[in-house]
Amino acid sequence: VTRPTASIGALPRGRHGLPREEVIRSQRERLLAAAARVCAERGYDGTTVARILAEAGVGRESFYELFEDRRACVLEAHQVLLDNLIELVRVAYAGPGEWVDRCRATIAALLEWFAADPLSGRFLLVSLAAIGPEFHERFEAGFDRFVAVIDSGLDPELPASELLPATSLAVGAAISRVYGEVAAGRGAELPTLVPSLTYEVLVPFLGEDAAKAAAFAETPHAGRLPGEVRGG
Amino acid sequence: MIACCAEKTYAGTTIADLVSRGSVSRTTFYKLFTDKRDCFDAAVTLCIERLAATLAAGADGCDSPAEATRRGAAAGLELLAAEPELTLVLSGDVLGVDPTLVDRYSRMLVPALERLWGQAGVPPRKHSSPGLAFGRAQLLVFHEVAAGRPERLPALAPNIVYLAIFPFAGHEEALRQAQLAKDEPGVEVPA
Repeated sequence: VTRPTASIGALPRGRHGLPREEVIRSQRERLLAAAARVCAERGYDGTTVARILAEAGVGRESFYELFEDRRACVLEAHQVLLDNLIELVRVAYAGPGEWVDRCRATIAALLEWFAADPLSGRFLLVSLAAIGPEFHERFEAGFDRFVAVIDSGLDPELPASELLPATSLAVGAAISRVYGEVAAGRGAELPTLVPSLTYEVLVPFLGEDAAKAAAFAETPHAGRLPGEVRGG
Repeated sequence: MIACCAEKTYAGTTIADLVSRGSVSRTTFYKLFTDKRDCFDAAVTLCIERLAATLAAGADGCDSPAEATRRGAAAGLELLAAEPELTLVLSGDVLGVDPTLVDRYSRMLVPALERLWGQAGVPPRKHSSPGLAFGRAQLLVFHEVAAGRPERLPALAPNIVYLAIFPFAGHEEALRQAQLAKDEPGVEVPA
């Protein structure tokens, strides 16, 4: 019998009196967390069902009741993590203040999320590329969902550009910056990039001067807004 | 190697596929390469050299770095659209095999862009990096290729031109060049 290597809410053995649904939910959560961690550490090729089981402290039989195979488990872990991040972005973007303040708060929340858990960040952006076309599709879909969230809360006063899709440029700026830092193993330092990334994100919408003023201004609002930054 | 990867991905490609497609013997293969990964790296390097040569040819004879960047970008996109196999491997498989390879081709392409602007006395501006612009351009290309629309790559020219010029000349000039790129007819791919 494999001992759980990490106790992410591992249940006591034997009779614990918990309803079966709750046991299954706990197992599922531990398996998804374990799949993400193993994959971030060892790459998709090095992620075996045995390693996921050892990391999660869950038995093989329970695994196959929940997931068809390793691939299904890993892809679901990816989906859950992506959903969490998109929800975090949606909440931060819906916060108080002017549109530029909400943008800055969203960028701060995004960077905090990746800094708080670099392994999850690595899993989300880098580790699954080896899966091939199916990962490409998911990456695409994720990108489009971020664009939709940002589009849904745009300031109606913003000048519309017919030439370039400003929201795609802005989301692209954020994703490439985060990807570059996470792939280089510098995820923990991401929050220091709030001003420069805010500038890069705002410039396609506002032009040079307004973007610079909004991103680098030494106002009480600049940088992290207390209470609006949510990690993990 | 490129054809095999485009067809069955890097992971699905065997040495047997490579020697059969390349019409060489296994012995010859191992004289040239230590293993599959070595052969893949060499193939990727060739692809990037080809892309770099296309960008340079497109930019040749232009009056300003902005025009050179614009024409080079258009020529590069035409090449990628004309050769979907090459594009698929560069933008997709490379990430799967080893994400750090992206760094390598950014190191092969970005300095050429910096030289182009450096010769005109324009260094990259504070708070923007040509390397990052490259990553964003790659993301856009990947977006179209992953969606199975390589033929639409030339339509990305305004976006790519904007990204490539922005780190040096700023938003307004980048936007102006993007507009010019939109109005320009397609550029021929050199054979």
